[in-house]
Amino acid sequence: MVNCSPQLLDRTFGALADPTRRRMLERLAHGDLCVTDLARPYSMSLPAVSKHLRVLEKAGLVRRRRRGRVHSLKLEARPMQQAQAWIEEYRKFWEESFDRLDQYLKDLQAKEKNEHPK
Amino acid sequence: MSTQNNRIETIAAQPFIITREFAASRELVWKAWTEPERLRQWFGPKGFTGTTFKLDLRPGGTLHSCLRAPDGKEMWGKWVFQEVRPPELLVWVHSFSDKDGGITRHPLSPAWPLELLTETTFSERGGKTVVTLKWIPVNATDEEIKTFNHAHPGMAQGWGGTFDQLAGYLAKN
Repeated sequence: MVNCSPQLLDRTFGALADPTRRRMLERLAHGDLCVTDLARPYSMSLPAVSKHLRVLEKAGLVRRRRRGRVHSLKLEARPMQQAQAWIEEYRKFWEESFDRLDQYLKDLQAKEKNEHPK
Repeated sequence: MSTQNNRIETIAAQPFIITREFAASRELVWKAWTEPERLRQWFGPKGFTGTTFKLDLRPGGTLHSCLRAPDGKEMWGKWVFQEVRPPELLVWVHSFSDKDGGITRHPLSPAWPLELLTETTFSERGGKTVVTLKWIPVNATDEEIKTFNHAHPGMAQGWGGTFDQLAGYLAKN
């Protein structure tokens, strides 16, 4: 079983639920950026961008470093890895259910064939 | 490290989609999902036994189910249906629950915290049935479900992109 804080995982997925925030993370995956650079491609006010950033920071996905007046933003990968481990667990739940469904359907059809031979 | 990166890349391809083809008619597969007595016989991981399955199949209705783990522990789950379109589409919010239907954390793993918006489509292909299950973790507030619905069907690609980018990032760091 995955061992990490449920609150952190909630915040990670909550932060990732928004497409703007996902795009921000994608851009940070290419390298650190300052807030104004990060805000540039969006037709969005700086306060709105800051609001998204706070959500990402709270989820531990982004870390802010202050160099004088410039705030540089860095992607933090660890919460993402935990989210992926969790995704894998859920996938396993369904894969195993599907194995059983496959067998159930086969058994059912074999039984019907025996009961109603053509 | 390299094993882990491989794993991440595998997931990056299609993080929230599971597809399987079943050698049965779509009507039969639909019945297996929507009749509690049938669902009970296959739903759950290997070694689990379905015990209680209470179903009210309509938008807003619920499935309240109990699986018994091999060690005897009970695992209650709850689906709240959003869309029911026989025999092709089921959409529901999936969560763990207690025996009274309240939403809870995963009993065996506290790191299973979330509600999952799940969309299952059933399509026919040459007498067989292809089931595609898409899901996304949500804290199922109205706003977040709306976000998901708007993003759909680009949802999976969007996330896939994010995971691809991050896989690259993780490989470098």
